[in-house]
Amino acid sequence: MTKNIPLILAAVCLAGQAPVRAQEVPESVDLSKFPAANVEDVVVPVPSEIFVVLDKLGSPNWRGELRSSLGKNTGNRAQVALLLGTVIAEGFIAVEAEDPEKVQEIGREVLVLAEAINVRKAVIARSKSISEKAQSKDWKAVRKEFDGALQDVRGAMQELGDDELAQLVSIGGWLRGTEVLTSIVSKNYSPDGAELLFQPDLLSYFTEKLDGLKTTRLGKDPLVAQTGKTLSAIRPLIGKEDGTKISKGAVERINKLTGETVAAITSPKDS
Amino acid sequence: MKKPLLFFALLALAAVPVHAYVNDALSFSHEAAIPYVKKGFSVRVDAWGGDLGVKEQQAVTAQLFKGNEYWFCLGTDVRGAVVTVNIYDSKGKLAEAESWQKGRFAGARVVPKKTGTYYAIITVVKSPQERTGWAVVYAYK
Repeated sequence: MTKNIPLILAAVCLAGQAPVRAQEVPESVDLSKFPAANVEDVVVPVPSEIFVVLDKLGSPNWRGELRSSLGKNTGNRAQVALLLGTVIAEGFIAVEAEDPEKVQEIGREVLVLAEAINVRKAVIARSKSISEKAQSKDWKAVRKEFDGALQDVRGAMQELGDDELAQLVSIGGWLRGTEVLTSIVSKNYSPDGAELLFQPDLLSYFTEKLDGLKTTRLGKDPLVAQTGKTLSAIRPLIGKEDGTKISKGAVERINKLTGETVAAITSPKDS
Repeated sequence: MKKPLLFFALLALAAVPVHAYVNDALSFSHEAAIPYVKKGFSVRVDAWGGDLGVKEQQAVTAQLFKGNEYWFCLGTDVRGAVVTVNIYDSKGKLAEAESWQKGRFAGARVVPKKTGTYYAIITVVKSPQERTGWAVVYAYK
């Protein structure tokens, strides 16, 4: 449906004319007058948005953060969705570690897990592209493919009417990303690094989504319930106001909480 | 009014012509981001989109991280429309380092002083149509 001609014209216009400063920009706005500005519309950041900051703050040992096992698929749809999120997050870590073999392994696992929840078709091209771009060590492109894989999987799930499962993929990714963030910050604590955890609206967004599942079969899944408890336990640890200092103790506590939940997702006890 | 772009994209793929404009607006927003890709920014695949009447505004919520630099790039498929995007912090104070506007394209750059929630305010300044489809993507480095 893309109309190529207008795009080309637009590109020419953009290239040929210097942009101008937006006019009369108010110095402040009353956000309460924007009723749609609610957490319902949060775009969930991908782990690499945080990881690139960590790279600027120091030299994390990304290889040391990689897991040797990507986890066990039990066939339980909630577990698979959460696991898929953690595996995609692992992909971002493997990109930071610049580990082509691990990236390729993760690309293949994304395909396997996607098949388990009937969205394989949506990620076949991504998986192939991840493998090719990892081989050529085009890390920026691999990052984009993992971002795309996340969106493709969520989109395919929504198409199938599985919105709740799609949210679990995002939450699984956030948990694994946060586990790694807190691991790195704990090892070399700095207030700037800890501040990356200040994500109150995102946590509220995830919590609201899980609360909405409480009366459903999915919401009663023990892993989903544990995930909800973890998010609720993290919320008070990140502070209330912008700029609140997040202590080393809080970072370590969040690391423990997310680590335990990721372990429960990736190594579930046989039921 | 505002709905996840993914939803619109899926509807568009299902050949519902009324939503085609959102895909086009998304293409234009990506077009607006091209100069920043060349400067090393990574454009997120996820995006926001919707439609607005003239003089109407929409706020979208973004979690931004201190230490990164961001460009928010807005596009509309409506020829002759003028749209703007500006970034405010959680207190409603203007947070952008710079912004620009060029007809159906607009952009705003923000270097967050704090990690937290920010708001991109989308405005349809003028348009020949009653409703103007828009889409915004963001890029980071």
